[in-house]
Amino acid sequence: MENLLEIKNLHARIGDKEILKGVDLVIKPGEVHAIMGRNGSGKSTLSAVLAGNTNYTVTEGSITYRGQDLLKMSPEERSWAGIFLGFQYPVEIPGVTNVNFMRTAVNEHRRQKGLPPLSAAEYLKLMREKMAYVEMDPSFSSRGVNVGFSGGEKKRNEVFQMAMLSPLLAILDETDSGLDVDALRIVANGVNRLKTSENAFVVITHYQRLLDYIVPDVVHVLYKGRIVKTAGKELAAEVEAHGYDEFE
Amino acid sequence: MEEFRYIPKNELFKCSVDLPGARKFFVWDGVPEGLPFREMPALDVSAAFDVSSRMERMEYPVCLECVPKKAVEIVPEEGVLTQVIFVRVSPSEVLGRVRINCDRPGSYEVVLCSHTTGQERFSTKETVEVNVCGGAKLDLVVMQNENSLSVHKSDFRIKAEENSSLKINIITLHAGNVSNRLQCLLSGKKAECCLNGLYLEDGEQNIDTDITLIHNAEECVSHQLFKGILSGHSRSRFTGEVVVSPSAQKTEAYQANNNLLVSDDARASSDPHLVIYADDVKCSHGSTAGSVGDQELFYMRSRGISESEARILQQQAFAAAVLEQVSKGELRERLSCLVERRLRGENTVCAGCGKGCC
Repeated sequence: MENLLEIKNLHARIGDKEILKGVDLVIKPGEVHAIMGRNGSGKSTLSAVLAGNTNYTVTEGSITYRGQDLLKMSPEERSWAGIFLGFQYPVEIPGVTNVNFMRTAVNEHRRQKGLPPLSAAEYLKLMREKMAYVEMDPSFSSRGVNVGFSGGEKKRNEVFQMAMLSPLLAILDETDSGLDVDALRIVANGVNRLKTSENAFVVITHYQRLLDYIVPDVVHVLYKGRIVKTAGKELAAEVEAHGYDEFE
Repeated sequence: MEEFRYIPKNELFKCSVDLPGARKFFVWDGVPEGLPFREMPALDVSAAFDVSSRMERMEYPVCLECVPKKAVEIVPEEGVLTQVIFVRVSPSEVLGRVRINCDRPGSYEVVLCSHTTGQERFSTKETVEVNVCGGAKLDLVVMQNENSLSVHKSDFRIKAEENSSLKINIITLHAGNVSNRLQCLLSGKKAECCLNGLYLEDGEQNIDTDITLIHNAEECVSHQLFKGILSGHSRSRFTGEVVVSPSAQKTEAYQANNNLLVSDDARASSDPHLVIYADDVKCSHGSTAGSVGDQELFYMRSRGISESEARILQQQAFAAAVLEQVSKGELRERLSCLVERRLRGENTVCAGCGKGCC
């Protein structure tokens, strides 16, 4: 099967600090990958680079997404092409309502595909359907994007947005951080409902507990900017039991 | 031989900000149609206004000697929106005087719109007197939408008496050189006043806002929120002074001026002041000038919202805090729509452009 994403020898830095020091990763449609690692190992940098955050500079290596050079694409082009990043710290945008934000996003996606914009009624129908995935109250739609949302509500909002955009490659950056068990289950269920044989997920986490709900096909350990070990889902339990010291 | 063609005035400008049930009047180059236009007592330049420490130093946008005797008189009716549309037609200077008189208790709504027709250089200097008597509530929206050559200087003199409530929202969509000077006197106990403004500028535009708000009685509350979005080479200058006189105990006064700079060459200057002579008060003021947030921008782009669209969303969001202050729903929606079109660089001439938005 054709690769969805192929990362070769990726080096990236923020300012003068090199964070990724040669990452290689191949993801095929239908797969769920987990990337585990300590704070500062480069997990968030990898997701930021994949989404096109210009605070990070790629100094070496390549990323190919569905045969295209991903590094040449703007963040919005990546989104249109099916990449979605679930933020570790979702951004608050006071004054922009959730509904206005997502309708603009959905309609831009449709415009790129040559489809007419959704009417208000069509949008509301779709929104209610997808909000149900994450047990989100429709009253959230009239609030400012993430403004005054609790940690759990912000993460649910991320998964809701993902459901609205149906990405081919979703990267979830520590979606489990700051979640209690109930919220974790809701978020994980939302993700599982979106899984198909066409799309792939990269779940970035410190802990195994999210991986009890979203079961990965492949687990990678990122250490000091490199993937130092790749194995099946049993690797997550091993990391949980022994920590990251063995990769020193 | 020169040819003259007669165009009825009501053909020159059609306002399509159609507010259902509104009483609508036009004022052509300072001369009203359907509203009283008569001699009024001289302007109130009583000592109370002069509590302000800056008063002497300030240059009036309209010289006091120039204030005409004849004024357009607006007496709002309770429960009916009064919309007065000031249109500039011939390119001479207009010295105008307007009086909004709420002399009976009750709730009143007034919208003043100013427009220019054509691309001539119009100069307008006007004095707007606003009196809100005890127990009256006035909601005043001032919408300024003029061409880039226009020069418009307004001198608002506002008096709010005991237990009155006043809200003024000034929305400057477009204009060349604008100066809005507001002098507001809270003369009676428990008067409340909200002064808000939104100014959108680009090109070589210049907008000055100059506020003197005087708390001259106990337990009055005032809120001010002025926001500007500046692009191109535009300039804005905000000077705001809140004076709390010795007798005005238990005053609450808040003032904020926030500017969003969209281009490298735009400049905003902001100068808020508090002058407090009483000792039992709650007052605050602040001002900011900044550019758009990169994190917000990246977040929106990562969802597939193009950079230009994301910037417009951010600017709309910035403007929303002022627009939300417009109490009347229909008017708020139309103004929001005009603001959006203005931010997109589209035509904001609200006269029958056929866009169906206003």
